[in-house]
Amino acid sequence: MKFIHFADVHLDSPFRGLSFLPSKAFNQIYRASDESLTKIIDLALQEQVDLVLIAGDTFDSTHPSPRSQLFFAEQIKRLTDAEIQVVMIFGNHDHMPEADLLVNSSPYFKLLGPNQQVEAKNFVTKSGFNYRVVGFSYLNNHIVEDKLPEFPAKDDRYTFGIMHAQEKTSTNSQNVYAPFTLAEIKDLNYDYFALGHIHLRQIISHEPLAVFPGNIQGRHINELGAKGCYLGKIDEETKQTKLEFHPTSPIVWQSVDVHLTEAISKNDLRDRLQSACQPQQTTYYSIRLHGAELLNDEEIDLVQDNSFWPSLPLDSQIVDLRFVTEEKMQLGDSDQESFEQAQKEIFSKKEFLHAALDWAKKDPVAEKAASDDQFRQEVEALAKIKLSQKLKGFADETETD
Amino acid sequence: MRLKQINIINFGQLSNLTFNLPSDEINVFFGENEAGKSTTVAFIKQVIFGFYLRSNSSPFFEDYKPLAHVSPMGGSLIFEDEQQQEYKLERLWAKGDKTKKGILTVTHNGEQVPETLFFDKIKNIDGNFYADSFIFNQEMLGQVTSLSQADLLERIYYLGAANSSQLLNLRDSFNKEAGQLFKKTGKKPEVNRLLSQIDDERASLKDTQSEFTEYEKLRQELKEQTEELNAEEKKLKKLQTYLQHMQEIQTELGSYMQLQQLQGKASKVQFTAENYRQAQELTAQIKNLQASIASLKQELMQISANDSFDLETAKKLVQKKTEVLQWQSEYKTCVQKAEEIKTTEKQLLQLNPELATVLKLSDPQISQLQKDFTSLPQKPTVPNISNNSSNKLWLIAGAVLIILGLTQVMSNGLIGAIGFILGIMTFVYGFWSQKQASKKIALTEQVFQQKESAFKEEYGLNPENLDLKSLLTNRNNYLLKVEAEKNNNQNLAEIKDQVAVLLDQLKQLLKKPISANFADILTALDQLQKKLDRYQSKNERHHSLQMQLTQQTQKLNDLNLKLKAILAKDNVNKMSEYDERYQASLNQVKLQTQISTLQEKLTAHLNELKQVDRNKLESRLLAIQKEISDQEKIVAEKQQKAAETKVQLSNLADSTAVFSAKQNLANSETDFLNSSKEYLANLLAAKWIDRSLDIASNERFPKMLVSAKEYLNLLTGGRYTDLTLDKKITVTRFDGKKREVKYLSRATAEQLYFALKLAFVEQIKDQINLPILIDDSFVNFDDRRIGYIEKLLKKISENNQVLIFTAQDKLAQKLSAKTLTFRKDRADA
Repeated sequence: MKFIHFADVHLDSPFRGLSFLPSKAFNQIYRASDESLTKIIDLALQEQVDLVLIAGDTFDSTHPSPRSQLFFAEQIKRLTDAEIQVVMIFGNHDHMPEADLLVNSSPYFKLLGPNQQVEAKNFVTKSGFNYRVVGFSYLNNHIVEDKLPEFPAKDDRYTFGIMHAQEKTSTNSQNVYAPFTLAEIKDLNYDYFALGHIHLRQIISHEPLAVFPGNIQGRHINELGAKGCYLGKIDEETKQTKLEFHPTSPIVWQSVDVHLTEAISKNDLRDRLQSACQPQQTTYYSIRLHGAELLNDEEIDLVQDNSFWPSLPLDSQIVDLRFVTEEKMQLGDSDQESFEQAQKEIFSKKEFLHAALDWAKKDPVAEKAASDDQFRQEVEALAKIKLSQKLKGFADETETD
Repeated sequence: MRLKQINIINFGQLSNLTFNLPSDEINVFFGENEAGKSTTVAFIKQVIFGFYLRSNSSPFFEDYKPLAHVSPMGGSLIFEDEQQQEYKLERLWAKGDKTKKGILTVTHNGEQVPETLFFDKIKNIDGNFYADSFIFNQEMLGQVTSLSQADLLERIYYLGAANSSQLLNLRDSFNKEAGQLFKKTGKKPEVNRLLSQIDDERASLKDTQSEFTEYEKLRQELKEQTEELNAEEKKLKKLQTYLQHMQEIQTELGSYMQLQQLQGKASKVQFTAENYRQAQELTAQIKNLQASIASLKQELMQISANDSFDLETAKKLVQKKTEVLQWQSEYKTCVQKAEEIKTTEKQLLQLNPELATVLKLSDPQISQLQKDFTSLPQKPTVPNISNNSSNKLWLIAGAVLIILGLTQVMSNGLIGAIGFILGIMTFVYGFWSQKQASKKIALTEQVFQQKESAFKEEYGLNPENLDLKSLLTNRNNYLLKVEAEKNNNQNLAEIKDQVAVLLDQLKQLLKKPISANFADILTALDQLQKKLDRYQSKNERHHSLQMQLTQQTQKLNDLNLKLKAILAKDNVNKMSEYDERYQASLNQVKLQTQISTLQEKLTAHLNELKQVDRNKLESRLLAIQKEISDQEKIVAEKQQKAAETKVQLSNLADSTAVFSAKQNLANSETDFLNSSKEYLANLLAAKWIDRSLDIASNERFPKMLVSAKEYLNLLTGGRYTDLTLDKKITVTRFDGKKREVKYLSRATAEQLYFALKLAFVEQIKDQINLPILIDDSFVNFDDRRIGYIEKLLKKISENNQVLIFTAQDKLAQKLSAKTLTFRKDRADA
């Protein structure tokens, strides 16, 4: 038996972290998830798999655009026409009533546990291999209770669990996506646990298998590298499962470090950026520019301006540039300590939130960013660059220029 | 660190100038204005931390124009640390050097060492820190005085931190930038602007997200519209069908009328096809029989027409053929005999030509004759009567024609009959002409015999030829012969008679002339035989015909009876009547076919056609057509609506609006976050500086306060006795009155600032101990205050070497016995 497992398609979801968007890139982006999904379906047809598991968040919202609904329905129809069993659940993004789903009804399409109830459904492959899929769909955007206790014990069939959920954390506020523990999954001992929700591809357990396939298209700089689906091949005798990852995303995000060791001309800087990005496919780059303190004010501004960024082959582009500076600020030893201490205090979560309060109150996006560690760190890095740059001016009494 | 020597090679307006500093505590540099005091301060700072060759204005005292054409510039400083280790710092800059900071060479006890060896001793502070903390000049004081009270307070507050004033400037510029990016209430700053942009885009996203609801709504609408459309189309279809139906009715009405007509014509005809067929058959048989009978009768008639034939005689005659053949043979013998006799007679006659004559005479006559035998006439020869050939031809032709005629009768009655008649006529003519010929011949013979007789009578005998004796012998012989001949002739005659009788009978029977010769007779006999045969067969035929006739007549009667019986069945008298009846029945059948065809055709609507009102039909049709055209309009409208909905649906289906809106929002959010980062980085950089200064100063502040209190006390001549720090700095006056710094007079605030700064230098003396450079800072100090400051300087010079650059004589004298003096062009050392 063969199956495909993917999740978090997030049709209609935008790419984040792009402050500018040429129309060409827009078309590329808006088709990216579609293309990735199409490739997965192509793979399913080509491999003649028996089962396709879709572990939630197929749509980015409970009111997906008709375009994405119809597109999805069309892709599912390709599978059901080929008599490939599709089992799908809704996740926290697409927790909609089953009736809102425009997929044509078919004996080969099953929305599992539509009322947020754990449902078990038995299937038989064309070759007569018995298997069972157990899972549930979201009906609300949050599920605070652990759903695993509701999962039935495994019988002698090959059993798939399918769930859109997040591992339990110590932060209670985060435990709103059917929080589970790995121990519970191991106790259930299903043959394969098809998970969704976490966009980072990861096999959280090998014995038994519990897998987050990640999303199928990276959408921002924190969703780096190849994205796609897992193709599982089950030895029907031993019930052993072999997994292969198949990358399908037309666009990948990549983070690249560029190190400056000395002052550099604008052209050289541009060349450095260009040579740092060697795309093998359409790639969106986030540049981490080390040694930014070597740049002057004008260069700092310039290098942050996307019109300065070099154009890249394969429709690739630099979409983000961040400064990294490990260098200590040029301060006297005695002040170094106080600056470091001040940095720790000021950029502590609490102090940061406090400082950014007026701003954060303005908008939920700001509020969210204010409590986002990464955002805070980025602000910190930028502040450090700015400060270093200025302090360098204090020290550097002779201009090099 | 104590500065031991200042050696200026070229710097500013100074060159070739060396000061050896006499004191580790206070050294006073005296000089007029523009003598080079500030330049020397700058020189000391820049030799340690690098030249500052900015062409534009520098922030502080370093604003000077370097000697443009003097090279190298720079000089050296000699320091001695607490362990009496000597460090010489020489910094030189020559034209063409890459770095404008100048090249620093550090020498420790005469040996060149890495510069870090020196800078580690001063904790790697930078020039700013040094300038800010150790240099007191008018500009610094000017800066203090030009600050607002609050700023001044802050300066004081942060004095504990190095570079505090620059950092505070920097902090202010960060704050300013932050303020330009975002304001708590405001619309113009970028972050605010992006916030409202995000709001707008959220709204438009919300609009687009209604796409799904809209799509569902439209789908439902379309479903309803389609249902309505279907219903209306159904209605239309029904109307059209009805119209079609009514048009059919209209069309069929003609046929229906025709049907009615035809049905009027329809009637029941007594007619049985089987009977009629039998009757026809019978009639045909009867006809055949009648024809057959007629022909039989005719044949019979023909056969009985030439019935006058004597069968018995004929039979007898035929039987006589052998006899005739015998006669023929006898006759032939007789003729031969006669010929022999004749020949003999002839020979006799020939031999005795007179014999002929003699012979005619009777014996008496002979006697007589004997006398006159000489003239006895010769017996004439009987001419042979031969048949004229032409007559024979006629006969033959007639016979042929008769035969042909007879044969033709069988096939072609008329021509046969004509041939036959012509044949008879020809034959009769032939026969007649032959007879005439015979008669002629006989006449000639008579004449001849007469002549002969006459001859005889005349005795036309030649007497010369007359050998009467021989003649008479011969005559006897001859007479014998004649006698023989007579007998012979008698035989012949007998034969002839018999033949003649036969011939007569033959002639009678054959009804034709037959020449009296055996060949002909035999032929005739054969003919007769044939005729007889014919007759016999004819008789047989006749008989058989008669039989047939009887039979057929009987049969005919039977058939007629049968026919009558059949006709009676359908109540018909005659066959002709029956034929008419048949025609009538055929017509009815045809009519019925037409009727049933029409009925078939009209069967669907027959009942309706019966009821339809012909007059109202037309208007009904028009009304339906009107209804249809109305309905068509309704359908078209519904179709249009459904089509519009479909377009809307497909627009929605193809719409990337949701994605666009999301992407736009995401982009704006990114812009917002980027700008916010910028804003926050500025904001936090400012806070960072604040906090750093806070930390730096807070560490030192309590200790600083102890020194500062003492310094302030000294500076104010005991007017202010205490400084306390409790959130705010509070100054306590000699009378015990506490005052917040912000309520201090400007001059007092400056004194406080000065005191605090000196306290700071004292505070860091263990880590960083560099000479304090005071350059005319006390220009605002009056005499009384100079007194106060003397004490202060004495006090601080316990910790740090103090270099005072002043143009005030009084101060110089008061502070030091040995004053270092600037002179124009050169300084003395």
